[in-house]
Amino acid sequence: MDMSATLARILRDLPDGSGPALLGGDPARCARLLGVDGIAVSLGTNGELTELVWSTPGRSTALDDLQCTLGEGPALDAYRHRALIAVPDLQQADPHRWPAFLPEAGKLGVRALFCFPLHLGAASLGVLTAQCANRATLEPAQTNDAFILAAAITAALIHDNGQRASFAQAEPHTSLHRAAVHQATGIVSVQADVPLAEAMALLRAHAYRTEKPLLTAAEEVVSQQLHFRDNRDGTATPPGNKD
Amino acid sequence: MTSQQRVLDILVEAVDTLTDDFDLIEFLHRLSIRCVELLDVDAVGLMIVDQHGELQLIAASDEKTHLLEIFALQHAQGPCVRCYHSGQAQLNINLTSSAATAGFGPFASQARAAGFTTTHALPMKLRHQVVGAVNLFSTGLSRLSNSDVQIGQALADLATISVLQQRTIEQSHTEKAQLQSALSSRVVIEQAKGILSERQGLSLDETFDAMRAYARPRHLRLTELAQQVIDNTFEGDLSPTENPDRT
Repeated sequence: MDMSATLARILRDLPDGSGPALLGGDPARCARLLGVDGIAVSLGTNGELTELVWSTPGRSTALDDLQCTLGEGPALDAYRHRALIAVPDLQQADPHRWPAFLPEAGKLGVRALFCFPLHLGAASLGVLTAQCANRATLEPAQTNDAFILAAAITAALIHDNGQRASFAQAEPHTSLHRAAVHQATGIVSVQADVPLAEAMALLRAHAYRTEKPLLTAAEEVVSQQLHFRDNRDGTATPPGNKD
Repeated sequence: MTSQQRVLDILVEAVDTLTDDFDLIEFLHRLSIRCVELLDVDAVGLMIVDQHGELQLIAASDEKTHLLEIFALQHAQGPCVRCYHSGQAQLNINLTSSAATAGFGPFASQARAAGFTTTHALPMKLRHQVVGAVNLFSTGLSRLSNSDVQIGQALADLATISVLQQRTIEQSHTEKAQLQSALSSRVVIEQAKGILSERQGLSLDETFDAMRAYARPRHLRLTELAQQVIDNTFEGDLSPTENPDRT
């Protein structure tokens, strides 16, 4: 009954366009409903799952940053194949399936993952990811609610609540988690005199090599701690800014 | 017989297009049950329109024969039909009132005989396309609150998404394109901010203000300006002097 009230509240809040995000309400409430430690909603652009638009802070956000940096992981597979990907125990997963992702996810302290595709027929919009610090399975009732949530999120994203236009025009009261990555891509493209796609690749390569999340590397570029003016791998960092 | 056949056709059609791990009918059935709990009603049915323009039950909160018959009666008349044709929610219909149920044919008396006193129908629609209706029944005379209606409509919307997921690929791509364009437009603006700030030696906020100050009097959409910057076709001047106060 309590869970029903929680679900009711979520369904009411999701389409609310008064906040800074494309979705309304509190992601932590969704995590409670599903009995997991955190959730994240990421959307795809150009065939890549790049935009985190709604998530509980901490591990879920870091997990999304990780998959975005590495370009592999269960959420990307769920997005590309429009299929539910359930990994009750990452330590038992085939190490060849996500060779770069699995050890890093372990370091983050994530043990179980459930990725629900947000899709309309053949059109894949994004993924709802639920994560747990311990190995976990979703009960049938929770799986059902997760499907309900995924459909409700899809409906809310498609049903334009008026927030979409402000969001698209980057109005100051709206926020995009990875805005700095796109800003840094623009900056790096000027510094290294390369096209945007290549600038993004340089940034990603730097993040991968220095074992930093892509977002952190991007923030360093934006705050001018890191630049690609002299060297395309970003090694010309001013002294004293090695971290 | 024929209407049962149509329901079967819909089920077969839907099942054929399902992905391996997702059973739409089972999902909608469980959704109906959840809807009963969430809205504190006694029965819920999801009616969707078939290729002949008639409403057919696709899932219900329980499979009792008398309930199924009430839904079957609504393929041509009843609150769901009215809801489907108008696209408007039909709320708090008192089944014991002959005025409220006029035009519903044998539906009202059947529903009363089954012990129901109130019914509601919420449209299942995506933008302007109505694909069906969610039908709620109560044995009491309780009214749905505004908050209940919001929740019910959210459930109807997500049921619509689930049904459409299986059906209209063309529309899916349109919907996806609209969401994608919002996202890409945002991405393009952020990238252009980065490019211009680096070129002009301005902060990102100053750059954004300058972009807006440039675009507004020229009736240029920010996205268009940003796209020009990215395509290297932007030839305007975003000099900081146009930017009166720096914060």
